[in-house]
Amino acid sequence: MATAPATTRVTAGSTAAVRRLPLWPLKRIGRWLAILLMAGTFGFPLYWTVTMSFKPQDEWNPPGKVFWFPDHPTVSNFTDILGIAQESSIFFSGRSRSALTPIYHSLIAAGAGTVLALLVGVFAAYGIARFRAGGRVLPFQILQLRMFPPIAIIIPLLFMWVYLDLWDTLQGLIILYGAVTFPFVVWLMRSFFQEVPREISEAAIVDGCTHWGAFFKAVLPQAKGGLAATALFVFILNWSDFLIALVMSQDHAQTAPVYLQALQSGSSGQEYGKQAALAMILIMPPAIFGLAIQRYLVRGLTFGAIKR
Amino acid sequence: MTGIEAEQHVRQAPRRRLPDFGGRSEEVVSRLTIAPGQLLMLFIVAFPAAVAIYIGFTEWTPTSSDNVWGAYHYWHWFDGYWEALRSGSFWHAMWLTVWFLAVAVGVEFVLGFALALLFLKEFRGRGLVTLFFLLPMMVVPAVSGFIFFMIFQVDGPLNQGLAAILGHNVQIHWLDDPSLVMWSAITVDIWQWTPLMFLILLSGLVALPEDQLNQARILGAGFWHRFRYLMLPMLKPIILIALIIRAIEVFKVFDAPYLLTQGGPGDASTTISVWLYREVIINTRWGFASAAAIIVLIIVSFAGVFAVRPIEQAQEETLEELVGGDTEGERQRVEDAIAAEATV
Repeated sequence: MATAPATTRVTAGSTAAVRRLPLWPLKRIGRWLAILLMAGTFGFPLYWTVTMSFKPQDEWNPPGKVFWFPDHPTVSNFTDILGIAQESSIFFSGRSRSALTPIYHSLIAAGAGTVLALLVGVFAAYGIARFRAGGRVLPFQILQLRMFPPIAIIIPLLFMWVYLDLWDTLQGLIILYGAVTFPFVVWLMRSFFQEVPREISEAAIVDGCTHWGAFFKAVLPQAKGGLAATALFVFILNWSDFLIALVMSQDHAQTAPVYLQALQSGSSGQEYGKQAALAMILIMPPAIFGLAIQRYLVRGLTFGAIKR
Repeated sequence: MTGIEAEQHVRQAPRRRLPDFGGRSEEVVSRLTIAPGQLLMLFIVAFPAAVAIYIGFTEWTPTSSDNVWGAYHYWHWFDGYWEALRSGSFWHAMWLTVWFLAVAVGVEFVLGFALALLFLKEFRGRGLVTLFFLLPMMVVPAVSGFIFFMIFQVDGPLNQGLAAILGHNVQIHWLDDPSLVMWSAITVDIWQWTPLMFLILLSGLVALPEDQLNQARILGAGFWHRFRYLMLPMLKPIILIALIIRAIEVFKVFDAPYLLTQGGPGDASTTISVWLYREVIINTRWGFASAAAIIVLIIVSFAGVFAVRPIEQAQEETLEELVGGDTEGERQRVEDAIAAEATV
């Protein structure tokens, strides 16, 4: 440490002269090249999926040949997977339904799960932020819930759910989704409530509101941007779930990600195009919501620890 | 009133500022706000945990003649625990998980940091390109698993692309080769979550005090020295949080290895979550799986004590900044104001 400044000056002095003028365009080009390379690498999987969803069957994965771009683009993958048109292949012969029902299940389970998590979590977050309810231990416990691998606590839940007739029902999934994303709501909303000055609720109470009145009329409106961001964020998490739906549903509550996986391992020949079409449909809601709340994404994924 | 008593009075004052305005005491309201959450936790965690501990002491499986409540007929104390602790496959899964975690989080950190440094300087289209890098994070994990399943096929675009570059036929079995499959699964995680690392570190880099960095530059510090002796130490809390958050998530990894190969070939990519899934769903040894799950939970809880602290600290710091009212700084400011008034 002590010798660092001296060496710094020596090396910097020698390089500064070299670096003076003629090198800066090179540096800039280098940076652009690096960014383009990274963007290409990270963009390719998405590019492949988008193009795949428009490819006819003989361009999916022909041995020894690759179609970097669909030669004969078609939308039949989308119409087939959504059950809109007559099936163009024998794909659905063994199946009774298209992807519409699983998508509907996903929407209901993720949406209602989000509402449940918000109903329970927002109050807890307010209590913790405003009254320090539960002391120091409660927020810690809630965060630790997130660290357990879900599969490790799923065994007792499995027979609990079977016993309560909740297994393979949407209600069962909704309760689980609500419970799993509840910690995110608490930590996120806590960080939003902390940004609302305490004086606002105090003023409301002085003006004659009850504690609840102050919360609903004075504090919550101040945090409604945060509430919306939290809701969308939690919806994305629920929509993305795979493991819980895989274990906790079979047929009556099968969600779209599980349906996608069943297509992948179930069918004898791979149906890449149709699967890619479903993948595109699955990506849409989180992509739109995610871009809408991109300011809050980092905050959400770090439990409010990093605010940007 | 003695001085000490007065001091205590002042210290306690802000907490109980609003004794009964709302008709209900703060205490009751505060309890009510967290009650539904506590109920949910009880329902979803406490009761199942009790059942898991009970089942963990037995050899019960769903195919046994008794139902869950009769599981005590199969009581065998700690045999399940011993079996898990002595089982090679359990520790193999643990090892794979730790390996996955170290490689994935390490690569994500380096790539994310490099990207963040590239994006530090303002350039045309920076916002748009940043949005583009956000996209992988938004992809549903089941979908990203499927995408890479396509890419890693023997006739898939990766091998074909390599063939085009190298000029000869490439037949790498990314998913069928036990020595490659973990790398394939790790690639999925890296693709999906490097953007998060990038965003966290970029937000940290942007917030660094520019004056100090510029001064260092003027004084002749090269990039490496500014990076090593200024940026890294100043970013340390944020780096810690980024690594911890990713480590927590990666330890639970299930989707990537399961979707690519169901943990195979053999057990070449059975991370601990996939291993538990196999024990529960395929082997249906629920008593044994419960015991193993409890061992995992104990390990995670120990790690968690260290992991949660920095996150909590970051939240507490902002809390002190924002809440005001009953913090030390606020009172200091009030006292200063009073003192200033007195001198006037």
